[in-house]
Amino acid sequence: MILSFFDQFMSPTHLGIPLIALALSLPWVLIPTPTNRWLNNRLLTLQGWFINRFTQQLMLPINLGGHKWAVLLTALMLLLITLNLLGLLPYTFTPTTQLSLNMGFAVPLWLATVIIGMRNQPTAALGHLLPEGTPVPLIPVLIVIETISLFIRPLALGVRLTANLTAGHLLIQLIATAAFVLLPMMPTVAILTSTVLFLLTLLEVAVAMIQAYVFVLLLSLYLQENV
Amino acid sequence: MLSRLVFVSAPVLKSTAPLGAGLVQASRSVHTSQQSLAPVPALPEKGGKVRYGLIPEEIFQFLYPKTGVTGPYVLGTGLLTYLLSKEIYVINHETFAAASIGIVIVYGIKKFGPSVAAFADKLNDEKVSKVREVKELAVSNLQQAIEDEKKEQWRAEGRQNLFDAKRNNVAMLLEINYRERLHMVTNEVKKRLDYQIALQNLQRRMEQEHLVSWVEKSVVKSITPQQEKESIAKCITDLKMLAKIEQARPTV
Repeated sequence: MILSFFDQFMSPTHLGIPLIALALSLPWVLIPTPTNRWLNNRLLTLQGWFINRFTQQLMLPINLGGHKWAVLLTALMLLLITLNLLGLLPYTFTPTTQLSLNMGFAVPLWLATVIIGMRNQPTAALGHLLPEGTPVPLIPVLIVIETISLFIRPLALGVRLTANLTAGHLLIQLIATAAFVLLPMMPTVAILTSTVLFLLTLLEVAVAMIQAYVFVLLLSLYLQENV
Repeated sequence: MLSRLVFVSAPVLKSTAPLGAGLVQASRSVHTSQQSLAPVPALPEKGGKVRYGLIPEEIFQFLYPKTGVTGPYVLGTGLLTYLLSKEIYVINHETFAAASIGIVIVYGIKKFGPSVAAFADKLNDEKVSKVREVKELAVSNLQQAIEDEKKEQWRAEGRQNLFDAKRNNVAMLLEINYRERLHMVTNEVKKRLDYQIALQNLQRRMEQEHLVSWVEKSVVKSITPQQEKESIAKCITDLKMLAKIEQARPTV
């Protein structure tokens, strides 16, 4: 069976059992749970330090009411980073390339922030639809534009993550194929392509981490506005 | 997995009594860890040794008696050749991608591994040092307290000397006071006696004077006018004689 370039994005099933559940549970298996010891090994110490720092930084600009979201956002961040980085390994499936998954993260969380805002402080939440200092004739147009921008947010969140990861993986596949095919014919070009592939891999590692962070950061931003 | 039942609460276990008990007993033979949470069992300090970051050292030790040092390597090469030649592992574009990410991972670990490990160790050491500081402070405080206590004991011994000295002081003061009062008494008595003496002297003197004046008075009284005239005439004649003698002398 020849791999087409889009087979890597097909949600894997085996005998009718969707394996995406297994793929999604891999970060849970890989990330160690803190023990009841006071001093842990290096991995647990680093993990604890990272989670503490991340949560602290994330919750800095958010009011006290939004701190309820700390666990959710940090867990989401860990999940996304692990899924993205694991997907860079060969022959792996990245669940975050599935638009359904990303929309499944984006829409409920975004909607939650909007509903919290509308429920607790409706005036302030609606007030975000009009930036300060707009000239009076522009107000109706601007409100419509801001409403459209508000409703595009979940779409943007989901599609951003999906598109970045899909594009990255696809590029890796394409350039690897180019290098592979060129190797017998034009070795020097193949070497150049391999260099490009190496740089691209570095970029993809960075993108994997950054996209996860951006996702969570934007959600925290929406939360900040509404809490 | 079944051994985890030991940590489950007793009522829950009781509810699964017939089946659960049998399972727990049956699986007890495969238990490798202690079955209690305290004291917390000690963990190994370092992880298992691996060669090339992937293959545990135990495989090399396991194969050493039969195949020597090169055994595992020959095994690896043969396995790889088998997989490749039979196209069980197909070389395609993914191999290149795998090589690329492999280089990134190995480079990352080699370059940043030690510093990250040192950072993790530093975090743990900071934790330990904070608590150790508290312990050291407590220990030093207690030692200081011991020193102070010893000093107090020494002082307490010396306090006897202090009391003796004070006692001596007080005795001296009392003695001084007593002597002062003695002196005072002596002085007072002397004064009284002196007074008496003075009184007696005065008495005597007054008596003498009185007597003398009485004698004088009586003598004067006893001088009759006749005697007085005679004595005066005698005095005059004496005086005239003396005057003549005096007048006769100036030429000498």
